[in-house]
Amino acid sequence: MADSEIQEPNIIAENVQVRYTVNTNDPGSRATGVRRLTNKIVGRQGQTTVRALRGVNFVAREGEMVGIVGANGSGKSTFLRNVAGVEQPDRGRILVRYQPLLLGVSAALQPALSGSENVRLGCLAMGLSPEEAAEAFDYVVELSALGSAIHRPMGTYSSGMGARLRFAIALAARPKILLIDEALSTGDATFAERSERAMDELLAEAGTVLLVNHAAKVIQELCTRAVWMHRGEILMNGPAEAVAEKYRWWAWNVAKGKEDIADKLLADVVSNAVKEEINILEPELIKNPIPRHAARPSKTKAAPARHVKRQDTVDEIEETPTPMLAAAEEQVWPKSFDAEMPKAKFPALPKPASQAVSAPRITDAPPLRLNPSKKRVVLRAANPNDRASSVAAADDFTGRRLASRARKIADERYEERQRLRQEDEAPAVHQDSRR
Amino acid sequence: MSETKNPLGLSSIPSVSSEGLVPVGRRTSLSSYLAALWNRRHFIIAESRAKMSSSTRKNILGYGWLFLNPLLSVLAFWFIFGYILGTSRGIHNFLGFLVVGVFFFGYTGKCMTGGTGAIRSGASMIKGFQFPRAALPISTVVRNFLDFMPTLLVMVIVLAIAPPLEEITWRIVLVIPVVILQTIFNVGLACFLARLGHKIPDLTNFMSIVSRFWLYGSGVFFSIEDRLDNHPALLAAMQYNPMHAYLTLVRNSLLYGVDTDPKMWIVGTVWAFGLLIVGFLFFWRGEENYGRL
Repeated sequence: MADSEIQEPNIIAENVQVRYTVNTNDPGSRATGVRRLTNKIVGRQGQTTVRALRGVNFVAREGEMVGIVGANGSGKSTFLRNVAGVEQPDRGRILVRYQPLLLGVSAALQPALSGSENVRLGCLAMGLSPEEAAEAFDYVVELSALGSAIHRPMGTYSSGMGARLRFAIALAARPKILLIDEALSTGDATFAERSERAMDELLAEAGTVLLVNHAAKVIQELCTRAVWMHRGEILMNGPAEAVAEKYRWWAWNVAKGKEDIADKLLADVVSNAVKEEINILEPELIKNPIPRHAARPSKTKAAPARHVKRQDTVDEIEETPTPMLAAAEEQVWPKSFDAEMPKAKFPALPKPASQAVSAPRITDAPPLRLNPSKKRVVLRAANPNDRASSVAAADDFTGRRLASRARKIADERYEERQRLRQEDEAPAVHQDSRR
Repeated sequence: MSETKNPLGLSSIPSVSSEGLVPVGRRTSLSSYLAALWNRRHFIIAESRAKMSSSTRKNILGYGWLFLNPLLSVLAFWFIFGYILGTSRGIHNFLGFLVVGVFFFGYTGKCMTGGTGAIRSGASMIKGFQFPRAALPISTVVRNFLDFMPTLLVMVIVLAIAPPLEEITWRIVLVIPVVILQTIFNVGLACFLARLGHKIPDLTNFMSIVSRFWLYGSGVFFSIEDRLDNHPALLAAMQYNPMHAYLTLVRNSLLYGVDTDPKMWIVGTVWAFGLLIVGFLFFWRGEENYGRL
């Protein structure tokens, strides 16, 4: 389990809240007075606020494929859109190491154009240069396996063929973080294998995949970890097998109208949740050795009185000018520290039993679980040596990202999945009969 | 998992470093935004061309309509104003005057309506993937520019061969800088209206009326110098109308072959670059909001 501590995070979502104001014709939420009159005149009915996400805390690390399950309207797609950055959350923040790619190139494609023209258009839409798009063309054709259909207009494709082409175009951009919303279910068996292999390669190159799918079986097969979202909150977070199984059992009860059992299951899941918190170590203090108030030009405002309470630190971070994504890899420490930084001494703490035991397999799900209701302590590391990432670097992981190793991991995962699938043939029948 | 307290009084819970991670989807600094936009230039052009070709591909004549459309419009104008009404309103070569006005104003007018709805019509793309949103209004202008090029070509040819024949002077090349200035103006206008139209969706209804007013105020059908003789204040204000400046510049260079008052050049240039800067900055400042519709 210590393995997950070492992996660098690719996505950190902290207290993400999203609310939408939408029209409703619910008689209960009708406006009163003048408001109602104006609503009548412009032909609008009442408005209501929907809380799509109610404080989601989430960390995804490199090499992880995280499944997101949940009933319709539980906020899965909203969360994915926020991670992709196409929408901004009302509260909270989302940090990413690379630009996430939502599997949504379909929006840029033109049905009247041929598949090959759309490949070029889609690649350009994802920010490739024309030369890169031309290079990626063969890869897309091979991965989508459309054959001569690639030269026909995309409007004539079947839905499965269209999904294959879209997926192949998205992977041609070589994203490090891929967000998939209800895709892959339309492809046939041959394509499923190819797409899994492509995703394994992505994961092995220290990428991250978030997969939203209703079919708990798909999550079980593909993902290393799963989260169960319910009414805009993360209800459960753990190994894909366990979470998907519980979700399936709950969904089955809801479908059968056994509300009482379903509610009991929910209550059980909530009460059994272990509080797991996480510190987000901000590198900010070290990046800007000069305190913000000292760096601020004097013309802006008179300094506030000393007794005035400082603003919340999280708010301050949001104000800072954000670096470009391309520059993310060269986040720099200052070339030289003016003065020797005092070394903070943290005592070596005993490892929790859960981390001390069991050598982790690569398919093991990390134990991370975030409790959204609890307020977390955000430590600010005063010294780079105290950061979690530097502890990880102390071990010998230098060769971890070599391409050959990456390929090997991908192969292993693929082999194992094939083996599991063959073994699953018999249990699958059993599971189906239970439905 | 029970929390242990270390001597500092802080709970020892696992930690992740946010080092190397950046907020996603945030508005970037202007320089990096411009760089990102420049990197997407191929997409902007490819997308505009794709939209154009997919709209023409359904027709039997395909691209032919890009040339046929302006040709037929000129024919219609000639039939109504030249043949039936026989009007000239005291303007030399009224047909040419009218054709220049209608086509050049149409270019800006289309950018205006297209820019206002750019965010809404690109909603699926905004929700689909991450790119500098300014690509949407700019792509609207590029598409209209590509549409306008064949029109311009047809117009120049028709004016050169159709009676009354005009003597072609060297000043015809001055049309090129005017088109460039007008395109820059259109980019600024489309960016400005795109954010405004996103904030106030009702603006799309309003825009057609504004466009109508502007059409008459720019002297497309008549010379505003003649008509507004008895309203000197209004006339003075109209002198600073950018479209009037562009139309006058084109007509003088293309139709009449005479030099234009340098004041017109100044008005046109200041408007083009001024609106480009104002409109682009205005659009850029709203960058994070366009995902919410």
